[in-house]
Amino acid sequence: MTARHFILRGLRHYRSAYLGVLLGSALGAMVLLGALFSGDSVKSTLRQIAEQRTGKTTVVLAGGENFFRASLSNSLPDTAPVLQLRSQVDTPSGRSTGQVNLFGITPDFWSFAPGMSDIPALDAKSWAINRELARTLDLAPGDSLVLRLGKPGLASRDAPLSGEPEELITVRGTVAQIREDDAMGRFNLEATQLPAPAVFLPIEALAEAIERSDRANLLLFRDPLSADQATALVRQSAQLADYGLSLQDIPLSAATEIRTDRIFLPTLIEEKLRTLLPTARPVVTYLANTIAANGKETPYSMVTGIDPAAVDFIPDDLGPDQILLNSWEAEDLAAKPGDKVTLSYYTLGSGNRLIEKSTDFTVHGIVSLEGAAADKLWMPEFPGIAEADSNADWTPGLPLDLTRIRPKDETYWDDHRGTPKAFIHYDTARTMWSNRWGNATSLRMPAGEADLERRILDTLTPADAGLLIRDLGRESQTAAASPVDIASLFLSMSFFLILAAVALTAMLFRFNVEQRNHESGLLAALGIPPRKILRWRLLEGLIVVTLGSALGSLLAFAYTRGLLLFLESIWNRGGDRLFNFHAAPASILGGLLGFITLMMITIWFVTRRQAKRSASLRLESGTEEITRQGKSRARWIAPVAALTGLAALAASKAMGPQGAFFLAGFSFLVAGLATFLAVLHRSRSSRSNSLSPARLATLNGARRPTRSLVVVGSLAAGLFLVVSVTAFQKHGGGEWQERASGSGGFAFWIETTTAVHRGSNSDSTEDILQLGDQRGQLGDILPFRVGTGDDASCFNLNSVARPRLLATDTAALEQRGSFTIKSTAPGIGKSWKSLREGEALRAFIDETTLLWVLKKKPGDRIDYTDEQGNSFPVEIAGTLDGTVFQGSFIVDEQRFLERFPSTGGYQLFLADTPGDLTATRGILQKSLTDLGATVTTTSDRLAAFHSVENTYISIFNVLGGLGVILGAAGLGLVTARNLAERRNEFTQLHQLGISRKIIRSLVFRETRQFILWAIGIGLVAAIVSILPALPKTGLLVTLGWIAALAALFLLTAASCAWLAYRRSALFAAS
Amino acid sequence: MIEVRQLSKTYETPGENIRVLTDLDLSVAAGETAAIIGPSGCGKSTLLNLLGALDRPSSGTIRIGDQDISTLSEEQAAAFRNHSLGFIFQQQHLLPQLTVLENVLVPRLAGDWQEPAAETEQRARQLLEKVGLAQRLDHLPWQLSGGEKLRTAVARALINRPKLILADEPTGSLDPASTDTVADLLLDLNRDQGVTLIVVTHNADLARRMGKTFELRAGKLHPLITDH
Repeated sequence: MTARHFILRGLRHYRSAYLGVLLGSALGAMVLLGALFSGDSVKSTLRQIAEQRTGKTTVVLAGGENFFRASLSNSLPDTAPVLQLRSQVDTPSGRSTGQVNLFGITPDFWSFAPGMSDIPALDAKSWAINRELARTLDLAPGDSLVLRLGKPGLASRDAPLSGEPEELITVRGTVAQIREDDAMGRFNLEATQLPAPAVFLPIEALAEAIERSDRANLLLFRDPLSADQATALVRQSAQLADYGLSLQDIPLSAATEIRTDRIFLPTLIEEKLRTLLPTARPVVTYLANTIAANGKETPYSMVTGIDPAAVDFIPDDLGPDQILLNSWEAEDLAAKPGDKVTLSYYTLGSGNRLIEKSTDFTVHGIVSLEGAAADKLWMPEFPGIAEADSNADWTPGLPLDLTRIRPKDETYWDDHRGTPKAFIHYDTARTMWSNRWGNATSLRMPAGEADLERRILDTLTPADAGLLIRDLGRESQTAAASPVDIASLFLSMSFFLILAAVALTAMLFRFNVEQRNHESGLLAALGIPPRKILRWRLLEGLIVVTLGSALGSLLAFAYTRGLLLFLESIWNRGGDRLFNFHAAPASILGGLLGFITLMMITIWFVTRRQAKRSASLRLESGTEEITRQGKSRARWIAPVAALTGLAALAASKAMGPQGAFFLAGFSFLVAGLATFLAVLHRSRSSRSNSLSPARLATLNGARRPTRSLVVVGSLAAGLFLVVSVTAFQKHGGGEWQERASGSGGFAFWIETTTAVHRGSNSDSTEDILQLGDQRGQLGDILPFRVGTGDDASCFNLNSVARPRLLATDTAALEQRGSFTIKSTAPGIGKSWKSLREGEALRAFIDETTLLWVLKKKPGDRIDYTDEQGNSFPVEIAGTLDGTVFQGSFIVDEQRFLERFPSTGGYQLFLADTPGDLTATRGILQKSLTDLGATVTTTSDRLAAFHSVENTYISIFNVLGGLGVILGAAGLGLVTARNLAERRNEFTQLHQLGISRKIIRSLVFRETRQFILWAIGIGLVAAIVSILPALPKTGLLVTLGWIAALAALFLLTAASCAWLAYRRSALFAAS
Repeated sequence: MIEVRQLSKTYETPGENIRVLTDLDLSVAAGETAAIIGPSGCGKSTLLNLLGALDRPSSGTIRIGDQDISTLSEEQAAAFRNHSLGFIFQQQHLLPQLTVLENVLVPRLAGDWQEPAAETEQRARQLLEKVGLAQRLDHLPWQLSGGEKLRTAVARALINRPKLILADEPTGSLDPASTDTVADLLLDLNRDQGVTLIVVTHNADLARRMGKTFELRAGKLHPLITDH
């Protein structure tokens, strides 16, 4: 007979005893591997989505609202131009959806698909759509659809003289093909796992629809290039048009002008070109609402500011407060040199509101309306003006009173178009009219500059014109690393459950060892070295645990799918399954090895003492637990653990609330269990002169302290988990009227597909959404500019380095007292005002996003890139408390516009209402159809965020509930085991005339003390740990929940013990 | 063979220390048989555990052959028991998962036996045949009677050719007929193989059949004059 033979015989003989160990190991391994597999699955899915989202794209040239020539791609190999816009899509059946990506593409686009891809035959009326849009609108090939989009302007519609607000256009077509995710159907620049609905149509068709021929705003590169290499390639092939520039000959002045199609020359370009071309002089031509003098006035005239040295007809001594009128204007105003002239004009105030200002001048002289002074080319191609047939047709995007226009003004327009009626010094003009888009409308220099275009192109970079190179491939790979490490999250969630499973399994193993004490004693007596006996026991354990873990790994496949379904309820908007199951070999091997090692260490720990005892003691002890004599170490563990818990709570700010919660909870559990152990030890050691059923029950409980500890520990840990996590359950969302709440007192969150601009002909400050008669449905409306960055809310699984910037009028928020600022960085005031201060652009963000997604703290900075490609820091000034802004940085609008002057309009609005929420929402949704608006109540938005957190909590609760069931099962097992082992004892008691009723009450007392200890330890540990984080609102609800859970727990544990008793009652009776 | 000098054993308990053996002396020559009797709880099993190196004395020396077993490490004590001693317990302690033959072979599991496995197995069969269990080799313990179990335990005690057999109440659970059979068996072994035999017993008949009889009283051994 060999040792192997002996071990196998042992396994076979004690197979029923080992079944519990096998099942316990299977459960523990399943939970642990399930956590790892879930992490693998989420990671793998995100990687796959990232690949589908960007295809073979390496870097992109992204212009956003700045367009370049689509034909630029022709001179750059392996590139594809894209014209990307946003649209609302309607179907003839009345279905509609907003925020749809429109991609104007060339056939080259499809070659960027991650795998092999066909090239669909598309034309101006036959388009491809992606699977997501097909699902959302229930579209199939052959179906019709209508695109409704805002026609992008040449310049920011916020800029003065940029023309009317975006004109809505509709384009009709049919679905030719539905593109699958791996065939560029999922193409998206935004880092999100959610598919965005998209329409693909030929770039020429889309460009024609928006009247921007040969224009693109995205260029995809396929070659592996660095940002610098891509920039160099673009610079080599770029033309002035790609930077929005053109050269204009001015023959009458023998000059050349560098002009921009964006109204104002971007400051950076102006500065670079003035350095390059020292003779270039800035020119600004602007619309004066009124030129008034001598009680007369001229409406709506162009006035030019220029350096007198640049033009012959302007006297060199033109002072900063002097004006030169042309002869027509002098006559109209009956003005002569020395007269006072007042210019009135619009400028932009805070919140992009138009303010009419006036400046007084003295007439320096009169210039005859001829030659260079009569040159129509002074006025740039202002949208809405340049192409107008008459003054009355002007649509410059400013609130003009066209009734003021006189016949003579029309005549002037007919004869001289936008020829300036007055000239002022450039320095003065700059002071009056410079804005965030620039300081000049053109640069003028003497004609004849050699090789001018080439020199300009050599000087400028794409970023100067807001064309940014992005390493999309790397960005998408980085984003695919979820900020929420699902594996770690589930591991931490399963921590107590795994511990309970391990402890219970080890206890079952120990039952077996205790049951075989005689065998161990005999083997020792026969001269088998104790170490060898221990090794055999451990080998048996290893075999059972390995088999159990293997079974657990199989079960983990099903368990993981269950967890993924839970997760999908958060992140999937319907449609196909979001997560693909994936188990990495490293997770399988590492998880199995880790779990088996953990189990074996625990088994070794609980059996080693039993194995060490002398053979004689074991031969005599039977199944009794061999316990340490003398004073218990648990006595000092309890206070140390409790102090550690309190220290963790005190340091919760430094170590983070979640870390503090776990450490405190664990410490208080250990403290409670150590106290329990110490009490058991004391009752075992203490002597008493009287014997009551209560004392007998206490002594019986102390008889096998390890068993008692494992049972109470498992139950307490399960209860702790369920109670503490339930306390974090988010309620509410209904108190939207409270301004300090997460809704800020706003009822609606409105997102529009088309940007909304102020500065139109109507008084937009009051009716920015142009609701007309329906305006009364809403109270305050607070508009937000949506800036760069990705959605970092809990709906986005991707890792977001730079959250989306939402810029608004922080003074309005301050005035309303909306939202609660929870904490701020040192030295920063707890006020919205602080966002307008400081050197860096300051931002507030929801604490949840800061903590879980960004993993940063107030005072930290994150680098962003402005529209000129310059890096600048956003300082996290403070945190907000559970608001509708989750996932975004809130910044001050004016500060934001310093960095992003071209950002066009508002696409997000918060609005309150005096009326009924549901009815008003319906009215709004209908009224805002043209804007492609989605109207959500703030309560629903908050509830959606809460549902994510509550789903996590539900997972926690399920795992905690499993822990409770495991603990209760342990209690049942221990009760059954104790009763079985003490069969003779009960028989003897019965023979001594002690009634079965008393014996039963004795058993119940023993069990009851376990349950009460478990409830006490679990509840105290949970309540103390969560005390600092307990929500102030709904405290009673939370306490009610806790009481209900404790009652449920009591019932579960008592039921298991009762079942065990019922099974064992036969023994007791015999 | 056995020289015990000034042997004391004290058990520590939470309330008080219990002294079971006090300066006990014992001499048994090789090939002798001895019985130790005494009332329950007087320390007979404690003495036997000390003689078998299953427990350590609080003071004093125990020499068996030329070895002071009170100074052996746990591993050395195990090796000593495995090579030099045979144990027979009242409860027999047969391993339920093993057959009769396998139970006899258990001491081989210590791993350092020089004898080839086949030879040991052959000897186990012979021993079982000798104790009358030749037909029971593949039976499991629960299929045996009390006497058969004890005879299996005797065979197991002999498998390592011990010089000393320690038997703790070997007939305690047997009927008179079986008791005589087992007593005959033990004395045959002593006579045929020269094995030293020390038996702790309550059974006066069995004690009388031993060469020497000692009574354990007040922690010391007192030789009794016998008429055999």
